[in-house]
Amino acid sequence: MAKKSTAKLLLASALISLTIGGTAAAQSGRDYVYVVGSSTVYPFSTVVAERFGRGSEFKTPKVESTGSGGGLKLFCDGVGVDYPDVTNSSRAIKQSEVDTCAVNGITDIVEVRIGYDGIVLANALGAPAVSLTRADLFRALAKAVPGDAEGELIENPYRTWADVNAALPATRIEVLGPPPTSGTRDAFVELAMEGGCKTVPWIKALKSSDKNRYKEICHTIREDGAFVEAGENDNLIVQKLEANPDAFGIFGFSFLDQNGEKVKGAEIDGVEPTFDAIADGSYPVSRPLYFYVKKAHVDVIPGLRGFLREFTSERAWGEEGYLSDRGLIPMSEDERSKVAADVRELKPLTLASE
Amino acid sequence: MRASRKNSREIVEAGLARRRRKEAAFRASGMLATAVGVIFLGVFFATLVMQGASAFKQTFIKLDVEMSASVLAPDGKLDLAYADFDGLVRNALRKEFPDVSGRSERRELYRLVSIAAGYQLRDMVAADPSLLGSTSTIWVPASSNVDMLIKGNIDPEIDESLRPINDAQVAWVESLQENDRLETRFNTALFTNGDSREPELAGIRGALMGSFYMLIVTVALAFPIGVAAAIYLEEFAPRSRWSDLIEVNINNLAAVPSIVFGLLGLAVFINWMALPRSAPLVGGLVLSLLTLPVIIIASRAAIQSVPPSIREAALGLGASKMQVVFHHVMPLALPGMLTGTIIGMSRALGESAPLLMIGMVAFIVDVPGGFTDPATALPVQVYLWADSPERAFAERTSAAIIVLLGFLLIMNLAAVIIRKRMERKW
Amino acid sequence: MQNLTLILVLAAMAGGAFYMGRRRSFAVVGGPAHSAQLHSLPGYYGYFTLIWCLLPALGLFLLWVLLEPKVIVALIVESLPDAQRTMSAGELNLLVNNIQNLAAGDAISGEIDTVMRDAADRFNEYVAASRQMLAMLTLGLAGLGGAIALRRIRPEFRARNRVEQVVLYLLIAASSIAILTTIGIVLSVLFEAIRFFREVSVTEFLFGLTWSPQTAIRADQVGSSGSFGAVPLFAGTLLITAIAMVVAVPVGLMTAIYLAEYSSSRIRAVAKPLLELLAGIPTVVYGFFAALTVAPWVRTAGESIGLQVASESALAAGLVMGIMIIPLVSSLSDDAIHAVPTAMRDGALGLGSTRSETMIKVILPAALPGIVGGILLAVSRAIGETMIVVMAAGLAANLTANPFEAVTTVTVQIVTLLVGDQEFDSAKTLAAFALGLMLFVVTLCLNVLGLTFVRKYREQYE
Repeated sequence: MAKKSTAKLLLASALISLTIGGTAAAQSGRDYVYVVGSSTVYPFSTVVAERFGRGSEFKTPKVESTGSGGGLKLFCDGVGVDYPDVTNSSRAIKQSEVDTCAVNGITDIVEVRIGYDGIVLANALGAPAVSLTRADLFRALAKAVPGDAEGELIENPYRTWADVNAALPATRIEVLGPPPTSGTRDAFVELAMEGGCKTVPWIKALKSSDKNRYKEICHTIREDGAFVEAGENDNLIVQKLEANPDAFGIFGFSFLDQNGEKVKGAEIDGVEPTFDAIADGSYPVSRPLYFYVKKAHVDVIPGLRGFLREFTSERAWGEEGYLSDRGLIPMSEDERSKVAADVRELKPLTLASE
Repeated sequence: MRASRKNSREIVEAGLARRRRKEAAFRASGMLATAVGVIFLGVFFATLVMQGASAFKQTFIKLDVEMSASVLAPDGKLDLAYADFDGLVRNALRKEFPDVSGRSERRELYRLVSIAAGYQLRDMVAADPSLLGSTSTIWVPASSNVDMLIKGNIDPEIDESLRPINDAQVAWVESLQENDRLETRFNTALFTNGDSREPELAGIRGALMGSFYMLIVTVALAFPIGVAAAIYLEEFAPRSRWSDLIEVNINNLAAVPSIVFGLLGLAVFINWMALPRSAPLVGGLVLSLLTLPVIIIASRAAIQSVPPSIREAALGLGASKMQVVFHHVMPLALPGMLTGTIIGMSRALGESAPLLMIGMVAFIVDVPGGFTDPATALPVQVYLWADSPERAFAERTSAAIIVLLGFLLIMNLAAVIIRKRMERKW
Repeated sequence: MQNLTLILVLAAMAGGAFYMGRRRSFAVVGGPAHSAQLHSLPGYYGYFTLIWCLLPALGLFLLWVLLEPKVIVALIVESLPDAQRTMSAGELNLLVNNIQNLAAGDAISGEIDTVMRDAADRFNEYVAASRQMLAMLTLGLAGLGGAIALRRIRPEFRARNRVEQVVLYLLIAASSIAILTTIGIVLSVLFEAIRFFREVSVTEFLFGLTWSPQTAIRADQVGSSGSFGAVPLFAGTLLITAIAMVVAVPVGLMTAIYLAEYSSSRIRAVAKPLLELLAGIPTVVYGFFAALTVAPWVRTAGESIGLQVASESALAAGLVMGIMIIPLVSSLSDDAIHAVPTAMRDGALGLGSTRSETMIKVILPAALPGIVGGILLAVSRAIGETMIVVMAAGLAANLTANPFEAVTTVTVQIVTLLVGDQEFDSAKTLAAFALGLMLFVVTLCLNVLGLTFVRKYREQYE
């Protein structure tokens, strides 16, 4: 009796494993949308995905947060079910990425601008409020800063904010910011650092004479510990700021908006990062957010067109849409209707050569 | 000199008090050490229950919703997927608070109710289209911030800027409470929904199903293979360097960090065999490799505990080696093997590190329906929720942990019962 | 599921084969009364038939199921009009995906033209045909195998030996999976690690003092230079492990001593399972507790005495990890203490030493190797622990011995480098495998050392 039950048990489990093998092999194709990309767009993208999944007959899209650069890299790896359909990005696609895409057979990419986001420099709510200029930011965070003589570059000597600008507090410079895979990093470098960098006349002159050198000076962030690369997880940065009142963090306005009871944004060039200041463009460090779609995948991957429609619908990205509740700054009505029309026609992206 | 020399009894007696003190101190420190573990356990469960118990309740708001055809089907045609059910909820809220005006103030008002309300209305209309045009009184879930306020997790006394719900909203909630339009009920969504970005919609069903599929794969692979390996090693393997090597190897595998198994899964199952990421099938494969050593070690111990006299008696009666093992040793060792398997399964259920490596940390809303659908597992869901910024996820994390620990407890109890009821003392 | 039906039919056939084999064995000797003339017990003839019936059929089934999708896709592609066949591989792959979804009746988007409709119909036809063929072939093979086996049954046929041989092979195969796992781990980690060391030198990795694995990912981007000096990670891992050990070793050891020597059996019966419960709590739960309860508590406590404490201090993670390891240390110490012969204990007590003296001067020295082995295993466990540190320790690669600062560990970095990243050509991702290799080698040494101590010692007094 006992003997038989043992044998049966073993036999039954063997049968189960075989059945699993059988059913697993008989899978059908991918029937959901696959989204990767920016952690700044991730909160918006997941909300749209969830609304879309609940409201339609299609499955809920799968969203992974990989950073804009990482997302575009995956996106450009090829056409097919193994590759993402959509990548979120907190900056515009670069020529080099379009080229990689083209090499891998992705020729038609549809760019969808979804709204604006400011990049804020924030610290803990209990810490003193500061007001910075972009020049301050450049001098505090660049790897090399202009010396006394014209054309001279010295290794960044500034240790405290007061070293940079006597009006600032004498606390150690400690900024938690995103890694190079992040679009926020690219945008920050281009808008804030380069903006401050340009204020030095001889560097500005370099822009037309030696563009690469200009970029290297303006875009290189110091690596001596004052700038801490904190990974893609913006929540984590917020938690760290709460713990350390001397530290600043760089992230998107939407995170500031969602965490208003923990951190506050610093004024940049005299403008406070608020919804309205970013919407009307007076806050200097703001950038549009995008997502990119493979045209070849639309109408092939179930639900992709519907997902686009949901994302570009008035109830999502409109003035009163649910994305603005999450901190997305909507585009103007004209812009919205133009982008929505382009998306409907799937107008492929053409990059103006830089 | 001689006179001052004490005899040995005096020496002993002089030291006695000191030695007794030492003995007492030693004993007390032993008691303290034991208490540390037990006290931690108490504190741990107490905090967990305190934080998590409220997540099993959810606040609901009573609304009189007019299923106005002009909102739902402005052009005369009702399209369920795109009809503005949220608009109905907004209208109902405006009717409840007629003196709220101004765009931003109204938006604050709308935020009292969860977005789930719209879906609830849609499902009602989908089930019974004749509701169109009628007015019905329904209970809809409140937004997570209202829920937190009601449960006391948000203190309305602190400064307005420090809390996610403003004074006007607090006043509205209070007025709803006065009119008996607010009620807390059992939170069924927690058990029937998949993951969500909205805390009040988020549930653990998806994660539970993911864990379930993974455990099926694990038990189906690890149990037969583990038992077979144990039988071979214990009863048939020739004593040689080779079997020593296998022995060391299995003991080591049982102590290899689980994350290394994750690396193995990533490299072999996903990169090399091109199995889908985030699939319970891959998770189950990794977990079965992880639990295999546990099961083998437990099964070997069970086989060893069968007295040799039984083998000898069977051999003496002319049974072959194989017959001895399968007819006599294995039935006697089976309770031990089953206990080991259940313990291994409970370890697999609580494991999360290797699953992080194979893409099971993703935002997945749909409840998985098979072995290759994208899924998460219960412990991974705990990890994901613990990282979420919304305050309401903190209590839901604790609730998910309570459910997870409940399952583990049941499995361990089952193991104990099997051991108690079927074990034989020799 | 059709495959399920097929498996069930196959199982039924196998059962039938068993009985037919048995019956046949009776038949060849002329009835059950003469079964003593058979070489083996009648059941073995049944098992023999069953094996012949089942094994080849199952082999075919598995092979078929593995190859079926590829073959069908190839056939579908073959039958598509030229316009589609000349598409790039990626587009073709999408088209096939669409056809599959259409065939499965899933929700699909976009226009369905006749080509697609036809292809989907054809897909379904092929699948149906393939299933039919599979069913016919497997069942046929099962029948054929059974028939062959039946024909071979003679009274002198050594059925038991044959059956036992097959079973033995199956057992050997099962036990070799453990070896294969180890080989798989070593190979998978080693290959990627070698690729990593081609880009970053071993010495920089092992002795470099800065860890900042972020490199520019585009040619036209100015990123950080990226450095892969893993010393801060090793130091962080060691710091957290040390804190955990400071908690776990004394508490675990004293618990074992108390329960073995002092406690009443009632307390023992309660405390032991409670402590074992600690070992059964999932690590992610410990992580949650460390991050949300212990870390803030450590911070407030530290700040109240004027210390600067990071919110993700090494102390919080270490403390909770220590608690997690207590049961491991205490159960291994318990084993070691119990393995010391009673004669030694009784001797010491008889000479008049107190219980604590007996313990400290006689039993513990005798049990020491076993305890040390247990501690080594606990260290290995602490080094490899992932979830607690992922949730409660930071990402900042600080090189510090201050337990109030945030440190990062090897396992945390493996997780951060690999989660969400699917690229296998950057030094960044490969670094995770190099770290994995380090982790595997170090824990392997500790485990082998610890297990040898534990085992050698156990044998010493046996």
